[in-house]
Amino acid sequence: MTIGTTAQRDPGPPAGEPARTAPRARHRILPAPVSGQELVLIGVIVVLWVVLAFATPAFFTAGSIQPLLVATAPVALVGIGMTIVIITGGIDVSVGAAIMVCSVITAKMLADQGVPLVVAVLLAVAVGGVLGLINGLLIAYGRVHAIIITFGTANLFQWLGLQIFGSSTVNGIPQTFDVFGRGVAGRTLGVPHAFLITVVIAAIAWWYLRHTPGGRHFYAIGGDPHAARLAGVRVQRRVLAAYVVTGLLVGLGSCFVIAQGTSTLDQTVGSGKELAVIAAVVIGGTSIMGGRGSVLGTLLGALLVQTVTSGVTQLGWNSQLSDLFVGVFIIVAVGADLLRERARRAV
Amino acid sequence: MTTPTSMNKVADVPAAGPAPESVGARVLRALLTQRIALLAVLIVGVVAWFSIMDVGGYLTAAYDPDYLAASLINAVPLVMLGLAELLVILSGRGGIDLSVGAIVSLAGMVFGFTYGQWGWPLWLAIVATAAFGGLCGALNGFLVASIGFPALIATLATFYAFKSLAIVINDQRPISTPPIQDLFSLSRSVEIPVIGGELPDVPLGIFTFLIPTVVVVWMMLARTSYGRRLYAIGTNDVASRWAGLPVRDTRFKAYLYAGVVSGLVAVVTVAQFASARPDAGVSGSGMALPAITIAVLGGVAITGGIGRVSGVVLAALLIVWLNAGILLAFVGNEGSQYQLLALGVVLIFAALLNGLTNRRYGGSR
Repeated sequence: MTIGTTAQRDPGPPAGEPARTAPRARHRILPAPVSGQELVLIGVIVVLWVVLAFATPAFFTAGSIQPLLVATAPVALVGIGMTIVIITGGIDVSVGAAIMVCSVITAKMLADQGVPLVVAVLLAVAVGGVLGLINGLLIAYGRVHAIIITFGTANLFQWLGLQIFGSSTVNGIPQTFDVFGRGVAGRTLGVPHAFLITVVIAAIAWWYLRHTPGGRHFYAIGGDPHAARLAGVRVQRRVLAAYVVTGLLVGLGSCFVIAQGTSTLDQTVGSGKELAVIAAVVIGGTSIMGGRGSVLGTLLGALLVQTVTSGVTQLGWNSQLSDLFVGVFIIVAVGADLLRERARRAV
Repeated sequence: MTTPTSMNKVADVPAAGPAPESVGARVLRALLTQRIALLAVLIVGVVAWFSIMDVGGYLTAAYDPDYLAASLINAVPLVMLGLAELLVILSGRGGIDLSVGAIVSLAGMVFGFTYGQWGWPLWLAIVATAAFGGLCGALNGFLVASIGFPALIATLATFYAFKSLAIVINDQRPISTPPIQDLFSLSRSVEIPVIGGELPDVPLGIFTFLIPTVVVVWMMLARTSYGRRLYAIGTNDVASRWAGLPVRDTRFKAYLYAGVVSGLVAVVTVAQFASARPDAGVSGSGMALPAITIAVLGGVAITGGIGRVSGVVLAALLIVWLNAGILLAFVGNEGSQYQLLALGVVLIFAALLNGLTNRRYGGSR
């Protein structure tokens, strides 16, 4: 395998060597743009959609697919941040509570002050960023295991959210966020804006993680933080950035959550979302050990989870059954990944 | 396969060396390295603080020994699930069990069916429930120990599955037939025999479930070779394997036992609510997160191999009496919100303290 190493040191094709070695060398550094896990996911989603289309004729219509895409957006969007966090070897179980804080503050501002769309979005994103900053500072500089800290901040955020709620619901939220919603105002050429924004951000994150040094640093930290530090990566800053990005996306995701709801916001908003997001990320093939994963997989994972949820409802089954299927999908997806990893190591 | 953590194993040498320490430094060192000492001081502080507030008339009801004893009923599920997490986290390799709350829900429904609907004798229903919890735990153990799933993923998946099954199994309805309702007597307070005249009455669940579980888990960890093996595989997986220990079997059993304990908690919870509720263990923030909090607060290292039963018990006592005081300090449901704040602050504080102790003294016990 010396060919690969030489090519790695010297990216340009040396004189005399045929040019076709260059793409081979690139292949060795970066994994394929679409990994096996993602292909399998695409296959599973296609199969599910076809089966559902035959089982319930109403499934494969715009009136059914569009809400599905809208509902996928918040989980997928927060999942992008969570993917980066998990790639660095961390985890953030406070996103559910953070969504609650962002939603209630934004909803209150909309209902009481009637702030315009741009201000409301910026406010939500800023609040999310601050919450992410708290997590990031504690984890990067407190040098404590991420799961413990985020369990703690989840409680703190929940308290904060409930305090702002003031033991009641937020009523009379205006239609400001309809551009992100399920209605006609939320679509361009039939594609829901919320989903479109999520795809664009996912594409940017995918490119950044894959093709820039900064993005590769996240993988390096997840692989071995000590080695990454010795290689010149500013580990603490990078880790901090991962949680702040997650916070910012939580803020934007909260806008989508408000847009999908009615004019009333109750205190259960965001509850359980953290597990849904983590489920989407791990189904998408991101390794919980860090160092491996992709945003594309997360997008597909979120789509799969939402397809299962919608499908179970549309088939007229008990909607609680969807959680059982999510659990099974996690086991199958991660199990398949484990087996492939074992096979790869055996070679 | 182990999670790389930079703060993991710091050398075991005391930082201070042989140089004589001042009294203050020694006390600080004892508090930081002996988690039990710190928790004891904190418990005394919390009880003293709320007693002073009580005397000053700031509380809505009396914070007296009777109230403290009665609030111990909340410690029963907390301590037992904390011990379940202790076993699992001790086993190392990122061990954690997110599914304990869901197991409580599902096993509670099993108890509801067997005792409440099919009329099995109580002891048989309890054994069946604990065995069923063990079965759920065995599934976790199989996934983690035998197949090699990361514990977080495996138990997240089974959390979803068990939670969903518990709700679907009886079509979202709780079971509260007369035999179940009569079980409420299990959570009533009783006088301690012989010496009880002078002491406040204590909830019966303490004697029937809590103390036996604590004693059994303590015996298992401190007095059996299984306990030694568990600490060994949690401290160093690879070394244990080379030392010829049955690593897979030991780790599997940790999850199995955690499931059994969760099954017992299901019985306690059903008795406490006088009803087998399908969402008993997962409503709100669920039962797993407080249990993990208790374990971490009790000095259990999330990286495995470090942790004691006494720490978990004291941590649960601290949280229960702190929560009991907070409930009295606020009017209405404000109190239950401030309990979230207290739990979060205490957890972050404990985690930062663990990190500091690791760096300064090479770990706590």
